[in-house]
Amino acid sequence: MTADPSDLSLVRRVQRGDKGAFDALVLKYQHKVVKLVMRYVRNPAEAEDVAQEAFIKAYRALPQFRGDSAFYTWLYRIAINTAKNAVVSRDRSPVDFDLDAQNPDESYDLQGRLKDSETPEGLVLTDEIRGTVNAAIDALPEDLRTAIVLRELEGLSYEEIATAMGCPVGTVRSRIFRAREAIDRRLREVFEGGLGRAEELG
Amino acid sequence: MNNDELYSQLSAMFDGELPAPECELLARRLGRDDLLKARWGRYAAIGAAMRLERGVRLHGQLARRVSSAVAAEPAMLVGSSPAIAGRLAGPRLIRWWQPVAGAAVAASVAAAAILWLRAGSPDAPIIAASPMIASASASTSAADTSDAATGSDSYVVPPSVEGPSAAPPTELADFVVAHSEFSMPLLRRSALTSLVSSEAVSDSADAARRAGSTRSDEDRKANADPTH
Amino acid sequence: MRIRRTSEQLAWLAFVLTVATAACADEPQKWLERMNQALMTLNYDGVFSHIQGGRVETLRIIHRVQDGTVTERLVSLDGSGREFIRTGSQLLCYLPDERTVLVERQPQPSLLLGSLPRFDAATSEFYDIRSSRRTRLIGRKTRLIVVDPKDDYRYGYRLWIDEQTGMPLRTQLCDGKGRVIEQVVFASIATPAAIPDAAFKPGLSTAGFRWLREVAAPGRPSPSGYSFSALRLPPGFHISVRAAQVMPGATGLVEHLVYTDGVASVSVFVESHMHAGHTLSGSLQLGSTSTFATVIDGHPVTVVGEVPPQTVKFIANSMKGQPPPR
Repeated sequence: MTADPSDLSLVRRVQRGDKGAFDALVLKYQHKVVKLVMRYVRNPAEAEDVAQEAFIKAYRALPQFRGDSAFYTWLYRIAINTAKNAVVSRDRSPVDFDLDAQNPDESYDLQGRLKDSETPEGLVLTDEIRGTVNAAIDALPEDLRTAIVLRELEGLSYEEIATAMGCPVGTVRSRIFRAREAIDRRLREVFEGGLGRAEELG
Repeated sequence: MNNDELYSQLSAMFDGELPAPECELLARRLGRDDLLKARWGRYAAIGAAMRLERGVRLHGQLARRVSSAVAAEPAMLVGSSPAIAGRLAGPRLIRWWQPVAGAAVAASVAAAAILWLRAGSPDAPIIAASPMIASASASTSAADTSDAATGSDSYVVPPSVEGPSAAPPTELADFVVAHSEFSMPLLRRSALTSLVSSEAVSDSADAARRAGSTRSDEDRKANADPTH
Repeated sequence: MRIRRTSEQLAWLAFVLTVATAACADEPQKWLERMNQALMTLNYDGVFSHIQGGRVETLRIIHRVQDGTVTERLVSLDGSGREFIRTGSQLLCYLPDERTVLVERQPQPSLLLGSLPRFDAATSEFYDIRSSRRTRLIGRKTRLIVVDPKDDYRYGYRLWIDEQTGMPLRTQLCDGKGRVIEQVVFASIATPAAIPDAAFKPGLSTAGFRWLREVAAPGRPSPSGYSFSALRLPPGFHISVRAAQVMPGATGLVEHLVYTDGVASVSVFVESHMHAGHTLSGSLQLGSTSTFATVIDGHPVTVVGEVPPQTVKFIANSMKGQPPPR
């Protein structure tokens, strides 16, 4: 897994003192990190605390990151470490440590169903967002929907999607972008009462 | 660049599919543009929602809390480009120096030069031990008789004199030089005269000469005027 | 504040003379601010002695601000012939004894002579600043400003500031017992309205010299993944900078942390692992710089600062590493 130029450019900005660039990395990976942490820490509020701790540790260790591996792989290890320590220090029952032998890229399982309780508020918010997004996807023209599904659910590269759909890479990029724009428009309508409202850190 | 083109780049960068040079530029902008950041965050939420992940957030506390915590952390500076951290100038890398046309050489010569700026010449004469500085060498006898006469604000120079001694290790010199960028006293030149002994400097210079290549006459002429 | 024209400099001096003297009498911080302003904005040409550890070196400093550009020259008058010439962000280091010229770019250049930081409420918790008596030095009226540390973790200063120009005619670094550790004393100083370009030409020929300029470090050192922080710090010290550097002696990146109390700074260097060339151990005093080297969790830790020896030792022994993930 080679270092992706996007993550690397953000990491380098952080290393030069740009804290805003770290916000972007957090925004990109927060869901993956929380999901990962929740394998060890079931309570969602606690999982967020642990995820927060993991991100801070990653920030402090960032001077040591040189881009030899993917940023997410490196972040993944820090998150696992932090989660394990959290479990151990809170005297929980032993966790199945084999979990971290799995490929960090296995974020594409579709399971996500809850077994234990989540705060009602959190549950509603997640369901609402999911509902809105999926409805928006259903409403997309087929070529846009296919492109974004192949990207987000199958994890294919633009090159691979171009092959699958029989079109140039530039078209793939454009389709994914337009799909996101359409979904985003819908998200903002539902959750922010219209377009153009001032938005906070997402 | 209109918004469409900008957001298209943002989308490609999110997928790791934007070429590196454009990433550099967009990364800069993303760091300081809150609206762009929010859009980027929504791209992440879209993917997580499609994968039916738990805890998908649009305006979640997590990102904001991490952001506040990071804001409270000290400034970070990594690599070779100096930057400002608070009131301090950026760190001075102990650098690798290179002849304008040649191979890289070790930094000890440079360290020696910087040390001199910071610390004083190794050849400075040793003054005789004396209880009051006013009776020392001529350059300090700037008449200040009132100093000798007063009580509370007159100071005694310690009588011991550091004679020539074994040069402290080179690695310490590098650390002291790296630190000197941050030392704030008026006397930024800490005396490390025993550190930069003539022998140490010429050893490293010899090593540098062996490692580096000689420069051509054209190069020397071209560089005769340092204000290019 | 950048002074762009000579007339502005004259106006500044006039202001200093007529207004500031009386107003500053009871505010030592204002004297220090005036001093910093003077060092940064005036044209000056002086000869001074740097006295430390029984050694004296005499140097000449020339400093000019013209059309927003700062030009400086620092020359050793003691025979080595070494000089530094700074023009804007370019620094040239002439080393005639090495027949070498070093060319450096400094995007954030600092004064060749150095200055003191602003003193604020936070700093006054650990330092007492007071305005003391007035004396004459080299025929000029000066005011003595005293900066006394409130504990033994830091050093203090005595500054004799020229009442008319704001320049520090004599500066001493002192320990808590009033012993002078280091000082800079001007034998003569002028603040001319204009300084010609010729004054900033090197006083030597560079024919046959080697010219070196800096480049990025070769090779890619591997990170240890450890990150260090201090479990405890002396009162008033807080972290200021966290960085990583390449250093020729050490392999891998060297973690560099800077702690400060607002006046004094201490650097902590943590290397990624022990190596054969590592010989440092314990306390070593280098003039006014205290150093302490130790090993923590297999990592060489070196602490450097213009503070008393017990401070660097305290900080060194308080460092703790956080292991890499996995």
